[in-house]
Amino acid sequence: MNMTRLNRTVTILNVLAFLSLLVSIGFIFLYAPIERSMGNVQRIFYFHVGTAWVGSIAFFVALVAGALYLWRPQRRWDTIALSSVEVGLVFLTVTTAAGSVWGKPAWNTWWEWSPRLTLITIAWLVYAAYFMLRGAIEDEEKRGRFAAVYVIVSFVSIILAYVSIRIWRDIHPVVFGGTLESAQGAEQGLQDIAPGLASMRMGITLTVNVVSFSLIYLAWLMNRIRLQMLKDEVTTLKMRVAARLQGG
Amino acid sequence: MARPKSATSSFWTAVWSIVWKDLRIEQHTRQTMSVMLMFSLVVVVMFNFALSTDLDAARQVSTGLLWATIILAGTLGLNRSLSIERENQTIDALLIAPVDRRGIYLAKVISVTIFTLLLEVALVFIFTIFFNKPFWQPAALLVLFLGTIGYVAAGVLITSMTIQTRSREVLLPILLLPIVLPLILPAAIATAEIVSLQPQMDTVNSSISLIAAYDLAILAVGFFSYPFLVES
Repeated sequence: MNMTRLNRTVTILNVLAFLSLLVSIGFIFLYAPIERSMGNVQRIFYFHVGTAWVGSIAFFVALVAGALYLWRPQRRWDTIALSSVEVGLVFLTVTTAAGSVWGKPAWNTWWEWSPRLTLITIAWLVYAAYFMLRGAIEDEEKRGRFAAVYVIVSFVSIILAYVSIRIWRDIHPVVFGGTLESAQGAEQGLQDIAPGLASMRMGITLTVNVVSFSLIYLAWLMNRIRLQMLKDEVTTLKMRVAARLQGG
Repeated sequence: MARPKSATSSFWTAVWSIVWKDLRIEQHTRQTMSVMLMFSLVVVVMFNFALSTDLDAARQVSTGLLWATIILAGTLGLNRSLSIERENQTIDALLIAPVDRRGIYLAKVISVTIFTLLLEVALVFIFTIFFNKPFWQPAALLVLFLGTIGYVAAGVLITSMTIQTRSREVLLPILLLPIVLPLILPAAIATAEIVSLQPQMDTVNSSISLIAAYDLAILAVGFFSYPFLVES
C-alpha cells in the first residue's frame, strides 16, 4: 500500500472509530437496561467483552501475518504482525483492567487466581515477551523470522490454554457458546449474565460495542503500520545521508 | 553391498546419530546432568527453608514445587545442550551435513527429553522421601513423561532463538516459561490429583488429554518452523 493511500485510509478510520466509540458509549449508558442483580456496574461488561474480542482478533491477525512472513519473507507481514501484537496487548490490558474493576463488586475481590484469569496473565506475559525477543535481535530479517515463529508458537499455546479452561470449573462465566459454565456461574449465585443477555437490548448494545471496538482496532492497527513505515523510511533516509556524507 | 536407504529411514538414522552424539558428549563431560541435578537440589532446599515453619504447607505445595523445579532446571539443560553446539561451532557442521533440519530439531528434543527424564527419576525419588507422597505411581510417571515432552519441544524451539540473540541465557526463561504454563498447569493439577488420598480420575484423564494435545501441537509447530530458526 502506498503512503498517500494509507494516509487517507488512516484519516477515514480515525474519524469512523471516534464516532463509533461515541455511539457505543451512548448505547451503553442510554440504551442498555440496568442489569437485575448487579445494577449499573454491569455496564462495564460491554467494554470488557468488546476489548476482549478485539484482543483475540488482534493476536489471530498477528498469527496469520507471522505465517505469511515465513511463507514469503516480506517486510510488510512483519510490520503487520508487530503492529497487531502491540495493539492487541493494549486491548488485553484494557480487558483485564475493566474486568478487575468489575470483579471488585461482583466477586468482592480485584483479582482471583482462577484458571481463566491465570490464562489472561499468561497470554499477557507471552505477548509482552514478544517485544523483548524483538529487542534482542539486531538483524532485521532474522528478527522478522524469529518473531514470526514466536508468534505462531504463542498463539498455539494460548489456544490450548483456552481449550483447557473450558474443562475446569471457573468463577468467570462464559459469554460466547458455553451454556454449561455460565449456568454453573448463575447457580453459584456469582453472576447473573445468562438470563440478562437474553434481553434484546443488552445483546444489541454488546453487538454495537464489538463492532465499534473492531473499528477502533482497525484504526489503531493502520496508525501503527503507518508509523512503522515512516520509521523505516526515516532509517533509509538516514542511511542515504550517511552514505552521501561519507562519499563527499 | 549396501541397500539404498529410503528417505524415512535415512531421516531417522540421522536423528538417532545426533541423539547418540549428545548422549556420548554427556557421558564424557557430565556437565548438563550434574548442573541440572545440583540446581534442583538447591531449589528443593530453598523452598523447604521458605516453608519450614509449616510442614503440611510444604507437603501441599510439593507437586507444584516438583514441576517448578523441573522447568527451572530444564532451562539450564536446554541452554547447555544447545549452546554447546554454538560454542564449538558444531551447529554449522550439523547444518552443512546433508540432514533434514527438522531432524536436528527432533534429535535435540529427544536428547534433552532424555536428560530431563533422568533428572526426574532422581527428583521423584527425592520428593517421595522429602514429602512422603507417592510420586512413583505409574499415572504420575506418565504425566511427568508427557509433560516433559511438551516442555522440551517448546524449549528447544525457544532456546534455538534465544541463543542467537544478544541477551542469550537471560531471555530464555522470559520467553519459555509463559509459553509452557498452559502445559504445566494441567500437569501440576493432574500430578496433585494422582498423589492425593482420593484421586479423581476425571480430572486426571482430562488433564492427560490436554497435555497430549499440547505435546502434539507444539511438536508439530516446532518440527515445521525449526528450519526457519537456523537459516544462516
